[in-house]
Amino acid sequence: MNRKRLGLFGVIASAALAITATVVPAAHAASEILIWADETRGPHLTTLFAANPNVIPGSTIKVVSFSSYDALGDALDKYTGSAGPDIFIGGNDWVTKLAKSGKLAPVTLTASQKSKFAATNFFDLTYKKKIYGVPVDINNVAMVYNTKLVTTAPKTYGDMVDFYKANKVSKGLKAGLCFTGGGMAWGGLSGLSALGADPYFMRAKGVPDVYKGFNGTTFGNNVKKYLLDANGKSNGFFPATDTGCADNFKAGLVPYATLGNWEWKKYADLGFTMNFMPVPGVVAGTYGHMFGSVNGAFLTTNAEKHGVAVAAKSLLTGYFASAAGQIAYEAIELRPPANLDAQASASVSEAQKNMANAATLAGIPQIGAFLGSNAGGANYWDSSGGYWTAVLVQGKDAVVEGKKLAAMWKKNVAVGKADL
Amino acid sequence: MSGFVRGNFAFMGKVALLAIVTAILALLTEHAFVQKEYAIGSFLLFAILALNFTYLTKFSIPLKFFVPGILFFIAFVIAPIIFTLSMSTYHYQTGNILGKVEATEQVVTLGAEPDANGTTFDINVGETPSGDFAILVSDIANNKFFISTKDARTEVPASSVTLDENGVATAAPGFTLISAETLSKSDDYSRIHYKYQDKFYIGIEGQNVGAVFQQSLTYDKAAGVIKNVVTGDTYKDNGRGNWAKVGAPDEMLTPGWRAPIWFENYTKLVSDEKVRTPLIKVFIWTVVFAGMSVLTTFALGLLLAMALNRKIRGRRIYRSILILPYAMPSVMSILIWAGMFDTEFGAINNLLHTHIAWFTDANFARGAVLLVNLWLGFPYFYLICSGSLQAIPTELQEAAAIDGANPRQIFRKITLPLLLQILSPLLIASFAFNFNNFNLIYLLTGGGPRETLDGQIAGATDILISYTYQIAFGNNTQDFGLASAISVLIFVLVASISLYGLKKSKVMETFG
Repeated sequence: MNRKRLGLFGVIASAALAITATVVPAAHAASEILIWADETRGPHLTTLFAANPNVIPGSTIKVVSFSSYDALGDALDKYTGSAGPDIFIGGNDWVTKLAKSGKLAPVTLTASQKSKFAATNFFDLTYKKKIYGVPVDINNVAMVYNTKLVTTAPKTYGDMVDFYKANKVSKGLKAGLCFTGGGMAWGGLSGLSALGADPYFMRAKGVPDVYKGFNGTTFGNNVKKYLLDANGKSNGFFPATDTGCADNFKAGLVPYATLGNWEWKKYADLGFTMNFMPVPGVVAGTYGHMFGSVNGAFLTTNAEKHGVAVAAKSLLTGYFASAAGQIAYEAIELRPPANLDAQASASVSEAQKNMANAATLAGIPQIGAFLGSNAGGANYWDSSGGYWTAVLVQGKDAVVEGKKLAAMWKKNVAVGKADL
Repeated sequence: MSGFVRGNFAFMGKVALLAIVTAILALLTEHAFVQKEYAIGSFLLFAILALNFTYLTKFSIPLKFFVPGILFFIAFVIAPIIFTLSMSTYHYQTGNILGKVEATEQVVTLGAEPDANGTTFDINVGETPSGDFAILVSDIANNKFFISTKDARTEVPASSVTLDENGVATAAPGFTLISAETLSKSDDYSRIHYKYQDKFYIGIEGQNVGAVFQQSLTYDKAAGVIKNVVTGDTYKDNGRGNWAKVGAPDEMLTPGWRAPIWFENYTKLVSDEKVRTPLIKVFIWTVVFAGMSVLTTFALGLLLAMALNRKIRGRRIYRSILILPYAMPSVMSILIWAGMFDTEFGAINNLLHTHIAWFTDANFARGAVLLVNLWLGFPYFYLICSGSLQAIPTELQEAAAIDGANPRQIFRKITLPLLLQILSPLLIASFAFNFNNFNLIYLLTGGGPRETLDGQIAGATDILISYTYQIAFGNNTQDFGLASAISVLIFVLVASISLYGLKKSKVMETFG
């Protein structure tokens, strides 16, 4: 390489470095708290913090929105090093996996802060006795009935089935009960539970009963009685998938549907009455459980790496967990806030309160340690839908499959309790 | 025109282009080093040097053509292979993601236990006259105040402190408050364990919140163990990426780290029934799927090519229509097919007046997968067969016809053997492609249906690559080590099949 060329190389290198130095922003500004959220929460949080930029003195807040909830989960799974967020808002079912892998950092709440939430809210945010986030809002579904089809609230599961059978042909019903949001596993728990299948049971003290499982035979017989014809095929009351549920419900072709608390407003705007209630059980006065879980704002180990751990903790405990913070956020997000003071606030809508009431009546905490456990062969998320496919689509015996489901979930709980 | 290629203008263009590429690579290098991705950073640095050296010297003219390709080959072929090979020898799964140093740091961090009462205080952060970080602690319930530093706790009489409207001390003798804005620039102060009492310290849990902790877990680097100072338990490296309790090895601290376990992931493929049984089923279906896909797409493509090889009316229109599925993005086609196969609302069931659960019955799902792949794949074979048919000298067929061969005999004895000779490499490539046809399976059936109640991990339409994805990403416990081992197995299988096929077809001799 001659001198001329060397000189040229020097010029190029210098130019390149100069461009780099001027163009490159700091990888992560020292006082910037980075929040990741999904496609609905992200824009809402951006709006929230644009209106309240000085929530944490001395720190700025940057929100990154992902294209979907799954995309957010994927990104949280896959980021390495310090590339991830300081805080993310999301589902509690990620807690076990992320905490186990060292991506979450514990948060310490004062007794006063804890007292502002239902004690069971913290199940969802806990892994091995450490709390990794703060409850932000209630995440649940609740059933509504179309008052144009049904005039009174059903008292039992049988009432709904009877109505469906009596009106199936005359009203052209496509199904009796279906789930518009939350999927067949998360949103569909109440459908299983109303007939007797629960992934775990809670004791009166609000702690899980790790020894009790549901009775697969009773459940299977209920499925036979309410959902199958005499020839063992589905009577059409309860479809094995949620495909088309929303459209059919809107079209008046399904009398009962569960709605997610993130979507109720569009149904309210269409003129549906928000007569939220849990799915009734086979005996009057009993209800199918539903995940009355909370969405959390979680602290990651990146906050420490980025030098914003203190500010991020303040944002979690001082804002996201506070009544004022939740009222401001839920005015945009429209879900029921988790903070009890915020729930009682007049600025929370009637529908939000009804949703929260339904959760109070039949909600169970979403315990990721049990639900995500594969010890029995498959976790709750895969096996719950699997049961409906096996029985309603493939025509397998409801009792035999019910027993398999019961054994599987019991083992999942027995092993999963180590992660509580 | 030549001035643009060779003159000063071209030279300046080259310099500008090189400067831009160097700048971009320098930017990426900096990011990589900031993220502590030293291998990536080093490679990018090497790329900068290689590119500048190659294009600014006359060291090697051929290298000027090859160097970008070589760099991409290293980055996107060699590096992933090495990484996958390397990870296949590690215990690398959910719970064992971090490096050992970071995992140990986190174990110790998680070993900070709040005191039994969950005591918290309102605090303000400041400094002592000697410049040390200090916190002014307000025990409002007991009307007590004290200043804590790393080494000392000094009581402050209530009469000496200035209180805000909430009764929290904001000023005291020997304590200078630091503003939140200043504190936000560095959080060194938050890593300090401020003196409380006995073994307890105050940790900072927010800008104005301190909580009382006891450090129960400590790392004894010299002895290579973690000790629980409260219970007296000792945790040793179990050689598999976890600190395990001495005397009770199943009790492990989290998180763990990636640890080498050498060939255990490979032996698991054979020795662990939970892995072996589905793997064999998936392997068989993968071979059937790839073989059937090649066979059906080739057969249909050839049939159409032969049909349209004759002069018929509207041949160009037919040809254009036939390559349409190939022109459409496959992702879109697959998703449309998925909708058409829907049991309740799908066009196929509606047209046939059936209620077939296409994706919940194993056989129907496999049929659907092959059908969709036929749709996606036949235009390719139609195109290459059309070209190949025209390359076969017509004299051979004419001579055979004169000798009395009928069209079927001409096809079997002349056309097909010649076609196969020409197309063998493409058929083998198609087999290898379908062996790893992840998109189709993932988008159409997701690998299902799975008999989840029987504990099946692998679905009826899972092929090896989608099964690997399921193991790596599709579950709450993600086993990247095992998935890497299966990926290596797939690589070996595809490479072997391809090599064997290429040898048999004698294509490689052309390059000899």
